[in-house]
Amino acid sequence: CLITPNLKMAALCSEFGDLVQIKKQLISVISLCKERGLVHSVKWASELAFALDPLPKDELPPSHLVSEEDVQDLDAFALAKSYFDLKEYDRAAYFLRGCHSKKAYFLYMYSRYLSGEKKKDDETVDSLGPLEKGQVRNEALRELRVELSKKHRAGELDGFTLYLYGVVLRKLDLLKEAVEVFVEATHTLPLHWGSWLELCNLVTNIEMLKSLSLPSCWIKDFFMAHIYTELQMIPGALQKYQSLIEAGFSKSTYIISQIAVAYHNIRDIDQALALFNELREQDPYRIENMDTFSNLLYVKSMKPELSYLAHNLVEIDKYRVETCCVIGNYYSLRSQHEKAALYFQRALKLNPRCLGAWTLMGHEYMEMKNTSAAIQAYRHAIEVNKRDYRAWYGLGQTYEILKMPFYCLYYYRKAHQLRPNDSRMLVALGECYEKLSQQVEAKKCYWRAFSVGDVEKMALLKLAKLQEQLTETDEAAQSYIIYIQEIFSCGEQLEHVEVSTALRYLGQYYFKNKLYDEASLCAQRCCDYNDAREEGKALLRQISQVRDQTETPSGELFVSLSDNNTPIKRVSPLNLSSFTP
Amino acid sequence: MASVHESLYFNPMMTNGVVHANVFGIKDWVTPYKISVLSLLYEMTTSKIALQEKRRLNKLILPLQQGPDLQLGQFLKTVEDCCPQTAFAVKIRLNEMADGELKDMEFFFTTLPNPTFDSEAYKTSVVGLFIRHMLLAYNKLSFSQVYKLYKSLQHYYHMGVPTFVADDSDMDLTSTEVTIGDKMERELDSPLTFCVRNEDPVSRGPLSQKQAEYFLAKQAYLLKNDDNKALRPAKLQEELNNMLKFNPDFAEAHYLNYLNSMRVQDIYISTHSLLHYFDRLILSGSEGKSNGDEGYGRSLRYAALNLASLHCRFGHYQLADLALQEAIRIAQESNDHVCLQHCLSWLYTLEQMKGSDSSVLTEDSVKMAAHFCLPYLASLGIQSLVQQGAVQGKSAHELMDALKDTDILHWKHSLSELIEISLAQTISIWRMYGKSTMAQQQAQLLLNMSSLEPVNFGVTQNNTEAFAVALCHLAELHAEQGLYGGTTEIFKHLKEQFPPHTQHAKLWMLCDLKIQFEKHMNDGKYHLAQPLVPAIRAQNKTEGLYRKAQVLKSLSRTTEAYRILQKLQVHCEKTRCTETIIRVLLSTAELHWESSDFSTGLPLLLQALTLSRKHHLQALASRTLLHLAFTQLMLGVPEQALSVLHEALEPILAHGGIMDKGRALMLAARCQMALVATRPNGREQAAVAIHTLDEAASYFSTLNCKERLRDVRYLQARLHSSLGQTAQRNRCAMLFHLLDRELQTPRAPTDMRL
Repeated sequence: CLITPNLKMAALCSEFGDLVQIKKQLISVISLCKERGLVHSVKWASELAFALDPLPKDELPPSHLVSEEDVQDLDAFALAKSYFDLKEYDRAAYFLRGCHSKKAYFLYMYSRYLSGEKKKDDETVDSLGPLEKGQVRNEALRELRVELSKKHRAGELDGFTLYLYGVVLRKLDLLKEAVEVFVEATHTLPLHWGSWLELCNLVTNIEMLKSLSLPSCWIKDFFMAHIYTELQMIPGALQKYQSLIEAGFSKSTYIISQIAVAYHNIRDIDQALALFNELREQDPYRIENMDTFSNLLYVKSMKPELSYLAHNLVEIDKYRVETCCVIGNYYSLRSQHEKAALYFQRALKLNPRCLGAWTLMGHEYMEMKNTSAAIQAYRHAIEVNKRDYRAWYGLGQTYEILKMPFYCLYYYRKAHQLRPNDSRMLVALGECYEKLSQQVEAKKCYWRAFSVGDVEKMALLKLAKLQEQLTETDEAAQSYIIYIQEIFSCGEQLEHVEVSTALRYLGQYYFKNKLYDEASLCAQRCCDYNDAREEGKALLRQISQVRDQTETPSGELFVSLSDNNTPIKRVSPLNLSSFTP
Repeated sequence: MASVHESLYFNPMMTNGVVHANVFGIKDWVTPYKISVLSLLYEMTTSKIALQEKRRLNKLILPLQQGPDLQLGQFLKTVEDCCPQTAFAVKIRLNEMADGELKDMEFFFTTLPNPTFDSEAYKTSVVGLFIRHMLLAYNKLSFSQVYKLYKSLQHYYHMGVPTFVADDSDMDLTSTEVTIGDKMERELDSPLTFCVRNEDPVSRGPLSQKQAEYFLAKQAYLLKNDDNKALRPAKLQEELNNMLKFNPDFAEAHYLNYLNSMRVQDIYISTHSLLHYFDRLILSGSEGKSNGDEGYGRSLRYAALNLASLHCRFGHYQLADLALQEAIRIAQESNDHVCLQHCLSWLYTLEQMKGSDSSVLTEDSVKMAAHFCLPYLASLGIQSLVQQGAVQGKSAHELMDALKDTDILHWKHSLSELIEISLAQTISIWRMYGKSTMAQQQAQLLLNMSSLEPVNFGVTQNNTEAFAVALCHLAELHAEQGLYGGTTEIFKHLKEQFPPHTQHAKLWMLCDLKIQFEKHMNDGKYHLAQPLVPAIRAQNKTEGLYRKAQVLKSLSRTTEAYRILQKLQVHCEKTRCTETIIRVLLSTAELHWESSDFSTGLPLLLQALTLSRKHHLQALASRTLLHLAFTQLMLGVPEQALSVLHEALEPILAHGGIMDKGRALMLAARCQMALVATRPNGREQAAVAIHTLDEAASYFSTLNCKERLRDVRYLQARLHSSLGQTAQRNRCAMLFHLLDRELQTPRAPTDMRL
């Protein structure tokens, strides 16, 4: 294909300033990929192209230059492509075997590869024994590798065939070689998103990413943003996406969805929800990423929205993994866990490598108290992706339910390792240590959980209670004070808040330390809460008694005591910080 | 966005993302190997076979039918060993199928004797059942599966008989002329049949279920009994990874992985594999109730228990304790007494490892184990009690009685492992008491004992801890007698049996270091002994400290040595390590001698004597007596010294090491010398003393202990001189001079050391 080198040159020179140029490149790469049956790359490029302004008629890139070989192969290629589109891969390959053009060669090899994959999947059904099921493999891979490596050595591979070679290598578990080939593919044909995406799956850490020499092209920014998201380096990813939006891709649904996913990963739920809603407006029939959206709705317990989403998606396409996950979440939110598990199972039938569904199914089984099935589901999730912290966390929870706190330490630790700054794992670890009466470790965990930003605001309370048990009164008081500050400063009303416990303790603490003013303030506050009202009153009485004995009772306190039944004037909760020692 | 190619197809046979190949509920699968067995059965029913051969074949059927899948070469060879004619016929039949077409295989299955009608293979017999199973399984195969089976049969056949095709015509000829005789036929095809590629069946990629199970069982057995014969850790890991790649649900492979990583002391992988195994096990037992004897509640308990044992192995006692508490708690909640009993025995082991007294716990454990009829745990408990008793100085007959009683139990239940441990324990006890002959005899008994377990997989001698202990004792005993050649041989064997990375290698490493240290100290090469101290200390802290003190003492760095010895004594009194206390006391007394302060050492020596008598440590008692006698000699009461010495001389000469013998005799001679002047028969006494010294000299020269030899020569020279035997005196003086020149170090005052 003669256009490829030109394209490459253009891609390398251009900057974001030249959106017209980018648009042109996208249009040409779309037609290139379309000819070769690389549907996913076509989709990606088209989405991006759609987000850019349309070109005037005379600016449209010329249709591809046709080489002599292409002309020769024209008929055979057209025939084969039609067979290919009908998924008759062997037939396509048969008619392409004599062709010489690069385009035809790619389709020839790609058909063979896909035919092998198809047969492999069919074979799994027909296997002869239980152990054989893992043994079915794509028989074509070996031959493909031999042929491609020969051509590779001779330097005859173009960007697309390099990509295919890389895929073959990856399937043969030759990951190192695969990475090299994919890098080469990105250099030869930077605009083919498929190579970048494969590279994303193969790069496991930031060091590896830094060691790769990638072509400097505008598409690299998309790649970097994507891989930052994969490697959980969310701030970097967000920054990249932001600069992409500013460069002119603001209408791209792809970028919006990616940002939303990134916000989801750092649990910035409101931001993510807003973005997803925007996405739904722009692209109402979109199914991709909707499972993530439903997760967010689930976390926020937004039943009507989730229900609407589920029904909408069912109307669009009910046999999609994402749809099934959304419905699963919907049922789970309605506490119909059996049905939820059923839908997650269906999602897995559609794609057994769907990681999220495994974990979610584990959660459902947990809700159903079916621990062994939950363990199975989580283990499967880990098998698919060892770095899935939710599955590790879920395993930990399962064993915690089975009352094996020591056993689950291992799993929580694994989860913590993967998400060092997630307070939930730390709190879970702390609870386990507490159950094992390892108070020192438990305290460390709680404090660390608070330091990394406690989501559920429970760590401090637990820390304080633990210190209370250990009769470290001053420390406990300190923790309670910070706890109260935290609760009131975050503004919104959280469930399971135990401000009253904290106030009660603080009241007693101040009372014991003869700080009667602070004690009475706490006691008054206690009276605001139902469960602590009586104790608050009792404490107030005690305080006044002590004060009677030592000095003449001050007038105002007497007043506040006398009209106990009238509601006490509420001080703004934020003012509470004023009485911290 | 998922990978582009992953979600292309929808696979209807998957549930929960796992392909259930077993969708038709077939348990047996037709494999090429099974077809070979079937054709063997077919041949046996159709052709006439001599009675004797038929009998041999009949005996073969069951193992072939129920064993793991064999390669064709192996299979044919086994059959041929029984009846070459049938083997040949089977091969022909397989050849027909493999080199023919699909219809040949289909034809074969239709011609199989139908056990429902056939009388020879009755339908409920083992053979009949097998044939019926196979027919059923075959008939249920789909078209593509039949084709696949045929393909794999071809592959199987050509793997087993690579060059067979070329000789096809010849074979046909011979088969028509069977009458020519088996012999010729055998000659003809034996080289062909046996040129099977003799690679390890494991390395050929995918295994069948049975093969995998067999592989795991074999490796696990070898790991337990002789891990040198098992695959190398890296290789085994590779195989297991391979197996798990093909079948991630094969939980046992994870367990083997755990054992394997324990071998290389890899805590991360072993924890991971252990937990993974139990996660998987919980799945497989999920139908059961959660807190009965069966079901996954049970595996939960054992999971926690196993985790405890893992931490215990790696020396994380606190973690092990926590895990154990957990196991105990859940076992209590579900009333699982057997599991509780296991927990209890781990509990006392843990206590013991932490260094606290756990005899009460152990006794409880033994009682409970006896109550629940768990002989293994009971006698393990008793053995542990014996060990504690020995350290605490229980009387010998009680210990031996207990061991004898457990031995009866072991033999009754054929617990060969425990028999070995019990013997090893006896060796250790005898050694502790200083009865070297008895220890040696027991060691020989253990080493020559043939294992009770059927000799599996060519394991002749186990490399369990018991053997390591016995061999180490034997090495030390040899070293004591100055037989360093023997010691070297033993260590060579130990190194082979217990390579340095293995679990029990530490035993012989420490033992080797100690022997080297002793040797250098005896030779007076302190500079060589000194670098060994840190190595010893790395293996055993107490021992290292003691040795350090000894080196310092020899280098006359008295103050430092004294400080270390004091520290050590306090430490040992805390840990109740009697033997070391006594040795420390003796060393401290020796330190006092250095400063000619003999009387200060006396109470220490008496304390040592009491301790060693109380704990029946005869060797140490005799050594203490030697020290006492020496002190008395120095204090100027040689008669007393001699009488004390006589008490110790007999056991030392009977059981003691060669060094002790030499020292005892030299001391005796010196006492006699001291008495020469006072006794009337002075000359006779002197002659006796010379003779005793000669004997001592012979001992020292076997040890090549030149310093002491020099002392002996000096004393001899003086004695000869006092007797006026000039020639002998000059000879001794010359010998002394030679040694003195060789040693170059100035002679320490003789009187100052034992």
